[in-house]
Amino acid sequence: MNELERFLDQVDRDGALAETRARASRRRFLGGALAALGAAAFAARPARAASGLGANDVDILNYALGLEFLQAAFYTEAEQSKALTGTTARAARTVGAVERAHVTAFLKLLGAQAIKRPTFDFQGVTENQQAFLKTAVAFEDLAVAAYKGQAPRLRSDAVLAAAVGIHSVEARHAAWMRQLFGITPAVRAFDRPASRPQINRIVASTHFVSAPAKMSARTDPQFTG
Amino acid sequence: MAYRRSMDEGHPLRTTRRRAIGRALAGCLSFGLAGVALDAAGAGAGSKAGDARIFKLALEIEYAEEAFYREALRRGALRSELREYAHAALTQDGQHLRLLRTALGSAAPARPRFVFGDKTKNERAFIDTAAKLEDLAVAGYNGQAANLTKGGLTVAATIVSVEARHAAWIRALAGEVAAPDAVDKPITAAQVVAGLREIGLRR
Repeated sequence: MNELERFLDQVDRDGALAETRARASRRRFLGGALAALGAAAFAARPARAASGLGANDVDILNYALGLEFLQAAFYTEAEQSKALTGTTARAARTVGAVERAHVTAFLKLLGAQAIKRPTFDFQGVTENQQAFLKTAVAFEDLAVAAYKGQAPRLRSDAVLAAAVGIHSVEARHAAWMRQLFGITPAVRAFDRPASRPQINRIVASTHFVSAPAKMSARTDPQFTG
Repeated sequence: MAYRRSMDEGHPLRTTRRRAIGRALAGCLSFGLAGVALDAAGAGAGSKAGDARIFKLALEIEYAEEAFYREALRRGALRSELREYAHAALTQDGQHLRLLRTALGSAAPARPRFVFGDKTKNERAFIDTAAKLEDLAVAGYNGQAANLTKGGLTVAATIVSVEARHAAWIRALAGEVAAPDAVDKPITAAQVVAGLREIGLRR
């Protein structure tokens, strides 16, 4: 059992997901391939603070951007694969548009401090509706836990306001994808946060990140002698 | 009853409510940039007393939700998945309520009176009110995020995403777009109270 599956078990206390998992295409999901540099994609640190934003918040925003890049790429690829039908296809279009909007917003906010888009290989999970839904549930629950873990660490009230507004949207997505997958949208009264190392480990275990994010050129350390 | 895979296909989304996602986020973003200069002191300027005031507000929300689901279930107008939803929301909002009451101790306000009228009488009214109530909860909790201490925020964050899950769940059951916006807009404490009054709060 890999990290993402362990995470799914944690969020799936009623066991419905485990049951459905058996029906979903297991072979390609999270399977095979050597561990890419997934963790590195979300470990990039800014060399210096962007104007106006403190280094701490820039760091957290880049971490959030990494997760948004992952989600946006996932939904976009699923849309393009034409594997989704009916309600699921329409929901994926709506959610995908929102995740792409999150990416755009973070890129604008971070400017030159933003990490670059990593490249992804979703291991075939976007080509099958069941595998897509299962992965979407995992990503959305993961995003909720990740934002929750970082919100109290933000220093700027303004960034915090934006982050909590996105955090609850990710929770809406999680519930929606769960409902479409046929599992309970809200399993427990209190959603737990997850730390950055936890999230990074889970993302790395998927091998979905085939080339890690880099800092954009303008924020690379400069050696001027 | 286990939550069954039953409504995957065949619920046409009443879509086309394409929101101006970009515009909403741009607003949020410019607010973010404008705000940066103002809060050099940093977030988390909350206090224990401030947390208590905010938890009292949150408790009013949870009282309303718990009373609403309890009454809807008692009146028996809900079938199958809607009943299941109401049971889950009642249980979870009830747990929020108890946590907040425990945290506030003797400072916890007493349970207010609610008059929901026809809002718990039929499925359509129930769906509309539940979505409104859960959205109100999300916006209300989000609106207080920057006023809470780090500890208070940590607790509130574990609750608000569950409210958001309820809001999406009820919409998905109704065949609606479950998460139409890119970012949830916060509301003030006064807007929370006004919203609760509109739904049925009679304190």
